[in-house]
Amino acid sequence: MTKRPFSAGTPVLTRDLLVLLAFTGWCLALPHYGSEFEVSMALTCLMYVALSSSWGLFCGSTRYLSLATSAFFGIGAYTSALTLDSLPWLASIALGAALAMGVAVVMGAAVLHLRGTYFAVLTFGMTELIRHAVTYFEKKVTGTVGRVLTVVPERDTIYLTVLALAVLAVLVSIVVRRSRFGLALAGIGADEQRAQTLGVNTRLVKILGFAITAGFAGAVGAAMAVRWTYIDPHTVFNPFIGFQTVLIALIGGAVTLWGPLIAAIVFSVLAETLRLQAPQVYMMSLGLLLILSVLYLPGGLASLRWSTMGGWWRDGYQWVRNGRNRERING
Amino acid sequence: MADAQSPVLLEARDITVRFGGLVAVDAVSASFHAGELVGIIGPNGAGKTTFFNALSGIITPTSGQLLAGGRNLSGKGPHRYAAAGIARTFQTPRVFPDMPVADNIAFGLQFAGRRRTGSWHLRDALSILELIGLGHLADLPAGAITPSQQRLLEIGMALATRPRLLLLDEVAAGLTDAEVEAMAQLIRRMRDELDLAVVWIEHAVTTLMRHVERVLVLHQGRKIADAPPAEVVRNAEVIEAYLGDEMVEDAGVPA
Repeated sequence: MTKRPFSAGTPVLTRDLLVLLAFTGWCLALPHYGSEFEVSMALTCLMYVALSSSWGLFCGSTRYLSLATSAFFGIGAYTSALTLDSLPWLASIALGAALAMGVAVVMGAAVLHLRGTYFAVLTFGMTELIRHAVTYFEKKVTGTVGRVLTVVPERDTIYLTVLALAVLAVLVSIVVRRSRFGLALAGIGADEQRAQTLGVNTRLVKILGFAITAGFAGAVGAAMAVRWTYIDPHTVFNPFIGFQTVLIALIGGAVTLWGPLIAAIVFSVLAETLRLQAPQVYMMSLGLLLILSVLYLPGGLASLRWSTMGGWWRDGYQWVRNGRNRERING
Repeated sequence: MADAQSPVLLEARDITVRFGGLVAVDAVSASFHAGELVGIIGPNGAGKTTFFNALSGIITPTSGQLLAGGRNLSGKGPHRYAAAGIARTFQTPRVFPDMPVADNIAFGLQFAGRRRTGSWHLRDALSILELIGLGHLADLPAGAITPSQQRLLEIGMALATRPRLLLLDEVAAGLTDAEVEAMAQLIRRMRDELDLAVVWIEHAVTTLMRHVERVLVLHQGRKIADAPPAEVVRNAEVIEAYLGDEMVEDAGVPA
């Protein structure tokens, strides 16, 4: 019981930490030389790195497909919108994360015994419920449609906060993967009941994992709310935020560490360059990417290696040659 | 090995499991003592696996009580049973296919096995792999080994929880005669060397009867016999329900 054979060796850890360090350094340097447009693009990118990395941390390893990201994002956004006048910046973000985690614990206790489609549909339903409840509350009780954020921190503060959240999400993923908690999550993903018979309190582990994911989404929501300066339930509880998080994680490889990050970058570049000029092309390429990655790269973009492409090349070559042989035989 | 003085590891009191109108297990009581090797036999649909599922917390019995070491575990989740030292295997091996063989073992050691020290043979993943004879496969993904190796791995995963009571569900099904015998030897060895009680469900009745000290016979959800094999094969109700004349001759006991 001295060594833990399940954890990968230290070279992998060192590599992961170095890549993360390089990524952080590059992101830190960006605001100093990048254009306004580039920084805004990087901010979107970092937002999705944080969202989909933290999503993959729980949903990727346990295969519980949650569509509730936008609920937690919205809760965070509303928290910072309401408290930024009275609380310091970081306290609002922490409060947003805490509230999202609280909601996740309640939601998780209610629906985490369901699997597959049922879980996905219920998390989506609860997100819609929260969105409509907030809309109703704002209309009837507070008499507003949306909220204008008057106290807004500098652009760099938002950027650095979201960067910190993205880096933290990847760092937490690295740590969790090497912990008992991560092993329990992987066991739940492989065979939940088997994991239970081997001593895992699966209910507790799932609620905790779900809450961690929600905490990140809440914090990101709280930080991003100020970027828009005006928020209403339809923007911050937009289910599209949840869908995009899932798509990015799946395209990148939800089980992998770097997949969500790679896909978030690809996705943000696509989004910012194509969305304005050709929104249809953007959605189409996103769909195409999803289909291709599900069909040919079930492990996501992160599982792509030179040998994979070599395999495609060989397959293609074989296919062409067989075609020629057939022609010869038939002809 | 076991005698009446050995402590009771698990006691089932009037366990009944009902699925809608069907009574799968009907008021079965049984107790399992430390160091025992007990067999459970019965025709298809007799409720053997359902009874096991109740004993390991996989399903909650409709009524009845399960006591482990004086504590009432009825209605608790399977992880509580694992923590109480009750481990089980599944009929079709349920290994974690993407994890290496060694990690499949390490899993149990990290959770239920963490609380106990257990025998010297269960000190770490490699020693358990040596015990079940899969040491050379440690680094392969569990999904890549043969089904009969997976069955051994399934036992290894259960052993990794450092149990006091091991429930084996048809671990010899589909094996060749030689493999069945090797499995029986392994089961005896585990009981003798690892200081644990084994409850073994099997369809290959002849092999089972030769190795166990006590047999429970289930028929249509009811327990119709609970005695040493030599007595069970003479039991008229058992013969009628299940064994048939053929079995009796095999066991060398005149009908």
